[in-house]
Amino acid sequence: MSTTDEESGGVLRSILPPEQVDRFLGTCDDYGWPLLGLGALVAASFPLLGLEGGYYMTVLTEMFLFAILALSWDIVGGQTGYPSFGNMAFFGIGAYATAILTKDFAVAFPVAFLLAGLLAVTFAAVIGIVVLRLRGHYFAIATLGVLLVAQQVSRILEITGGASGKILLETPSAETFYYLFLGVLVFEMALVYYLSGTRFGFVLNAIRDDEEKATAMGFNTTYYKTAAWMLAGLFTGFAGAAYSLFNTFIDPQTAYNGAWNVELIAMALLGGSGTVAGPVIGAFGLHTIIELVETYAVGWQLVLLGGAVIITVIGFPKGVVGTLSEYASQMDYYKHGGMAATDTDDGSEVSADE
Amino acid sequence: MAATQFVVNGLLVGALFAGVAVGFALIWGVVDIINLAHGEMVMLGGYTSYWVLTLITGNAEGSPLLFLATIPVAIAVLFGIGYALQRTLVSRVIGTDIFLTLLVTFGASIAIQQLAIQAWSANPRSIQVSFADPSMTLAGIVVPKMKLVAFAGALVLTALMYVFLQKTRTGRAIRAVSQNPEAAALVGIDVEHTRAVTFGVSSAIAGGIGTFIAVILNIQPQMGLIYTLKSFIIVVFGGVGSIPGALIGGLLLGSVEELVAGFASSQWTLAVSFSLLIVLLILKPKGLFGQEAEQ
Repeated sequence: MSTTDEESGGVLRSILPPEQVDRFLGTCDDYGWPLLGLGALVAASFPLLGLEGGYYMTVLTEMFLFAILALSWDIVGGQTGYPSFGNMAFFGIGAYATAILTKDFAVAFPVAFLLAGLLAVTFAAVIGIVVLRLRGHYFAIATLGVLLVAQQVSRILEITGGASGKILLETPSAETFYYLFLGVLVFEMALVYYLSGTRFGFVLNAIRDDEEKATAMGFNTTYYKTAAWMLAGLFTGFAGAAYSLFNTFIDPQTAYNGAWNVELIAMALLGGSGTVAGPVIGAFGLHTIIELVETYAVGWQLVLLGGAVIITVIGFPKGVVGTLSEYASQMDYYKHGGMAATDTDDGSEVSADE
Repeated sequence: MAATQFVVNGLLVGALFAGVAVGFALIWGVVDIINLAHGEMVMLGGYTSYWVLTLITGNAEGSPLLFLATIPVAIAVLFGIGYALQRTLVSRVIGTDIFLTLLVTFGASIAIQQLAIQAWSANPRSIQVSFADPSMTLAGIVVPKMKLVAFAGALVLTALMYVFLQKTRTGRAIRAVSQNPEAAALVGIDVEHTRAVTFGVSSAIAGGIGTFIAVILNIQPQMGLIYTLKSFIIVVFGGVGSIPGALIGGLLLGSVEELVAGFASSQWTLAVSFSLLIVLLILKPKGLFGQEAEQ
């Protein structure tokens, strides 16, 4: 890491002076709430500018959707250090719940939406008790297994429409979904931002850095892990709950999409996992690229996604936000004459060594 | 009687699972990487054999001997791919967060998958091997001849790998690296090269098994993930780094799947295997034959 920083330092320094980056990131830290509110206001005013129902509004809606998913993944994957390859299981449960409730039981969409979120949280609690006992490779593969089993079950059951899925024709307007996804995203960002300053957030990070030490300090890590996992389940479930009607169609392949699961991990990682802004920035960035590829090079999305994942992991394992703040922390190095410059980034490398 | 038939079917297919899993276990034990692209090596091995056969005969049909002749080709090609994969990608993330290693190999896996779809379309394919009399009956149990050949082939490949690890100089280097990379480097072993060879050997055996899978089951670009996951189940069951454990695990998984498919429905096999895995992980996280990497 440090060698690449030094190599690119010359060019990067002339474009982004570290003291400015430092000041910018400091501003973001100090004015987090106003910035979040401002961003929400700007996003909320877009449809008023005449985008309603158009292509760009759909793209923006999808970006909010992916931002929700990436941020949810990051609560457990980035903040707690449990990399899940099965988050999309919650998505599928939420998606099928609203599809079945609204179509077969004529439940109103808002009620179905809330029930779907509740169902996803319950599922997360049950699954979490089992899989959160595992670590590292075992956790990753077990969660992938949960996702595949959920997909298989939805393919067999009758109520889900089997392999052919469900078509949903009576859906709310496109604008409703735009505000719904935006609202969930802003609420989630606010919650994660708030939590990152509380004991809850600190314990999650402590679990990531050294779970045994956190346990030894007297924290019931199982409780914190499960709570974080349920939180991720809630928001992922909400995203799925709205998605099935937004998409007007749901089948096992789209509801429990393993490629999406990788996509949202890549987003969190690309932007910078373990932060609030990182996964959201990553989701907007990567989705823009994917959207372009889907328009101009159909059939190559996964090649691109795989390439993006590999480049991110090898080149910028700390993501945009992480790399920037590391770069800015070089300022400390100059200010304090070379003492304790990059103390923070060694800790994260050791995190999930087990 | 039906149960016996299912178990026999299961054992015959299970040897193939075991062969794939042995390669997976080798990487896990030596390089300490979960190679999520391992199943893609199986797929590429199957396609290599398919295309070699098509080049020779004009269609993917041939005599048993001709088919067997394609296996060394698949093994050689996959060895090269595995070696390159380790050198270009995996070596860059070794020693970092295990999560990053998972992501790199997953990235490779989905990229290979879609490239394969672009190259060969998503249609399932299979190799037809012509036998005068395709199956035989032993004590009331039907045994397709090709399955028997595949079973024997998988066992031979596994045995060859075992001998390679035990008897050859490279094999000893591989075991040395798995036990202590620093000490191995001190006595003059090129650790990077040895790891790449390990990756190559692992991919080669997966590719070799892939050729048999192309004959008795099907090959298609998206088949890989299932084989990776089955390997994981088998290795967890048998214990990381244990070749005999992987063999027994593979035979057992095959039997369980055939029994589930026979008595319930083939739709349930995946769900049942994974539920078994999760139960096993909770009860016995080190596996039945769990030990430190094979001595």
